[in-house]
Amino acid sequence: MGVFSILRDGLARNRLLGLILAGFALFPVLSGIMDEPFWNDLAMRIMLLGMAAMGLNLVLGYGGMVSFGHAAFVGIGAYCVGISQFYGFDNGWAHIAISLAACGLLGLVIGFLSLRTTGIYFIMITLAFAQMLYFLFVSLETYGGDDGMSIDRADFMPIDLWDPLRLYYLIWAGLVIVSLLLMVIVRSRFGVVLEAIRGNESRVEAMGLVPLHFKITGYVISAMICGLAGALFASWQEYVSPDIMHWSRSGELMIIIILGGIGTMAGPLIGAVAFLLLEEWLPELMHLVAPAYAENWMIIFGPVLIGVVLFARGGLVGLLARIGGRRS
Amino acid sequence: MRNFTIAALAAAALTAGPAMADTVKVGYMTTLSGSAGIIGKQMQNAVNLAMEHTGGTLGGQPAEVIFVDDQRKPDVAKQLANRLVKSERVDVVAGVIWSNLLMAIHKPVTRSGTLLISSNAGPSPLAGKDCHENFFSMSWQNDQTPEGMGKYMEEAGIKSVYLMAPNYQAGKDMMAGFKRHYTGEVAAEVYTKLGQSDFQAELSTLRAAKPEATFVFQPGGMGINFVKQWHQSGMDQVSNLYTVFTVDNLSLPALKDTALGVISTQTWSPDMDNEMNRRFVADYKAQFGGYPSFYAAQAYDTMMAIDHAVAKAGGADTDAMRAALAAGGIPTTRGSLAMNTNQFPIQNVYIREAVLDADGVATTKITGTVFENHADVYAKDCSF
Amino acid sequence: MSFILLLEQIFNGLQFGVTLFLIAAGLTLILGIMDFVFLAHGAQVMIGAYAAASLTALTGHFYLGILLAIPITFASGYLLEYLLIRHLYRRNHMDQVLATFGLILFFNELIRIGFGPAALFSSLPPSLSGFVNILPDTPYPLFRLLVIAVGLACALGIHLLVSRTRMGAMVRAGANNETMTAALGVNIRVLRRLVFAAGACLAGVAGMMLGPLTAVEPGMGEPLLILSLVVIIIGGIGSVRGAFIAAILIGIVDTMGRVLLPVILRSFMGQAAADGAGPALASMMVYILMSLVLVIRPTGLFPPKG
Repeated sequence: MGVFSILRDGLARNRLLGLILAGFALFPVLSGIMDEPFWNDLAMRIMLLGMAAMGLNLVLGYGGMVSFGHAAFVGIGAYCVGISQFYGFDNGWAHIAISLAACGLLGLVIGFLSLRTTGIYFIMITLAFAQMLYFLFVSLETYGGDDGMSIDRADFMPIDLWDPLRLYYLIWAGLVIVSLLLMVIVRSRFGVVLEAIRGNESRVEAMGLVPLHFKITGYVISAMICGLAGALFASWQEYVSPDIMHWSRSGELMIIIILGGIGTMAGPLIGAVAFLLLEEWLPELMHLVAPAYAENWMIIFGPVLIGVVLFARGGLVGLLARIGGRRS
Repeated sequence: MRNFTIAALAAAALTAGPAMADTVKVGYMTTLSGSAGIIGKQMQNAVNLAMEHTGGTLGGQPAEVIFVDDQRKPDVAKQLANRLVKSERVDVVAGVIWSNLLMAIHKPVTRSGTLLISSNAGPSPLAGKDCHENFFSMSWQNDQTPEGMGKYMEEAGIKSVYLMAPNYQAGKDMMAGFKRHYTGEVAAEVYTKLGQSDFQAELSTLRAAKPEATFVFQPGGMGINFVKQWHQSGMDQVSNLYTVFTVDNLSLPALKDTALGVISTQTWSPDMDNEMNRRFVADYKAQFGGYPSFYAAQAYDTMMAIDHAVAKAGGADTDAMRAALAAGGIPTTRGSLAMNTNQFPIQNVYIREAVLDADGVATTKITGTVFENHADVYAKDCSF
Repeated sequence: MSFILLLEQIFNGLQFGVTLFLIAAGLTLILGIMDFVFLAHGAQVMIGAYAAASLTALTGHFYLGILLAIPITFASGYLLEYLLIRHLYRRNHMDQVLATFGLILFFNELIRIGFGPAALFSSLPPSLSGFVNILPDTPYPLFRLLVIAVGLACALGIHLLVSRTRMGAMVRAGANNETMTAALGVNIRVLRRLVFAAGACLAGVAGMMLGPLTAVEPGMGEPLLILSLVVIIIGGIGSVRGAFIAAILIGIVDTMGRVLLPVILRSFMGQAAADGAGPALASMMVYILMSLVLVIRPTGLFPPKG
């Protein structure tokens, strides 16, 4: 199958994803009409988190490798921008290339060391590497340590990012490219083997393939996608600190995927939308219902997550599919 | 979206203010949810109290305060800052507990031509090379407080001191500030894990070193842990404890008499004897049932500074307010505050001791003044 | 470093280690026997600490507070299993992660609403705040010795329970083959609930012992959860013996790393560089240790046979 037919096929299969991407493309029109430009900020955060979650979903959902340290790749991607700028290197495209290379290399090393283990052991060893990187950056005083470093919007020749809307569409374009790339990967022979490994590793081995090669390749690609998200994140936030590498951020990425629907194309993005909108609106809701407890909104947030597990198998994508199925 | 607004509009509209007065809008950012929520709650209380004291106005104009919860995440803070500036179109963004969050919002807020006033965080880049004409601090630069302790211990004739702080930027700033005015021997400089809960291993080493004095910076929960364990290990017999940002009115309710006698430096204390502070502390205790912490006092001062700036500027015009603040003479719970060229306060640093008040509640009491009108060292690197 | 100081540091490491073991012991069984990823185990530590501190304040007696708090932690585990956890056994690990993450948020917020966001006051009774000379002229806090003693006693008790009793045999069997155990007529549902409640109770005891030493505040259990997961992984999932050895190992490595690394580094690099690198390396120590163990032995030091 050619790449284009895969894409056509992929878009047809993933109407939900196409719909969300189109929604993000049109969103600035809405926020413009409503004269609420800051909504774009929320949308950019959602797209960036969604992009990182999509990267993680390749290994977690399709490959069955539960990595609990992917925030480290987002962080490294962001720090590549900050550190390049620190040494006076200011081209945004080059920053992205450096982030991709650094995360690819790091993914290769961590993947190689970690993929000997499986299951919960794999979860914990990936966490261990992420923690080491976190503590490393906390202690690097040159790059601001815990206080982080300020970043100027890089030079994305020929795009001048002075207008936040251009940054918005840069991020959106990144998200579209990642989505298309993942569609191609998942439908390719590589993707099929990766999913087969999740199902039954020894059967793949019996076919004369080396599962480890496929797993490491998947891990590296996933790390690079997170690196891209990190590099764009740095441009959006104009600042980077070790906070984005904290283990709770890795957890957040996992939660977003599970919430949206593991191993589905649209899941991570829907999860990011739901997660951040809940974070945004629950305090509001609490403020209306019980103003004294507005800052205790997590008392609702927690049980909502539990409810999704109990009553929406397959996450929100599963829920949507069931609703759609019932209607037709 | 996240509008926890005080409805001060109605009250202000009834009073005979300037005929066409614009509403002064303040966006107040702090951490309300999560484990640091206690600090944000105190700041929110203090801001509300300040608005009560000004009759819901700022500088005689009707006013509105919008509280936002940064969740202690830089990306959330940045998004909220953009919202306050672009959507709510506030005249001032104020608050911010953490250095890293302030660093994250500094650029978008100051660039937009909105004033940014910190109620707590004061990292050195913002006092020096990255300073901005639209940024003011109503707290202190990180180094000021430990510098006071360094000078105090130097003057007390202490020959050898053992230093301990968490391994992060503020920890290193504090130790550097201390050493700027202390010239005696540093027996050891120990950096602990950020968020460490058990210090017994460090205390054992300290006991063996038998230093004359120990200087510690362990903010928040770490401070509670440290002081408890210091006390339980009988360290009082081994060394004298001096602290900054470790024993305060946030940690004292969890420490009670465990911390009595511990010496610290600070730019404020609940027993400061001026009219504004007496009113603030008395009303805060009456309304919220406990002493305010320095976070609360600084939040209150921030609102008083805005009140002062709007009054002098005759409205919420950024340029006029900036000039009013930069001119100093800002009435606060710390008395009248002068502003340095980098727009950080020039203020006294006091020596405080943890004591029991008349009701048997643990608090801090000023026992002396180390520095009068103390300025930070980074101002020389700042030019607008 | 003198011998006395080294001994004292070993005691400190031991005390940290047994605390970790109390948290890890239940968790390793929950992970091993029930194959259940339970992230909210840190909340059990917090519940234990809050129960003990508030009951001590209420009754005015430290021991009475502890005595009343123990059944509360057991009951909280029992109830939690009954109300929620049992519905999640058949779900995949990821569902369990999401649900128990939600539980963490819920419990932290519940405590915050119930007890306020500030740290709770908790201290030692005079009878426990003294010192014991572990060597001539080497005073060591009595309470910390007591923590070590309680931890070791619990470890011995769990060991005897698991290896010598009929119930222990069932637990071990359950760790290896669930359906076989059920076929032998063991009520697996009751067994699970009891193991879960016992695990919660042990974690609660750890929290009670941490209470007087550290700040009793919402979220106090989370850093300990990550560390106890490290312990379980190094020890081998489902192995109580492995968890014990790994906990002591982590306790001593972490303590020694914090104390010795800066000193060692200072001997061959500049003071400033050592002050930066030492604590950073010390923070990474346990993770470096875990990844080394896993690179060499991918299923931990003592994986249960089966």
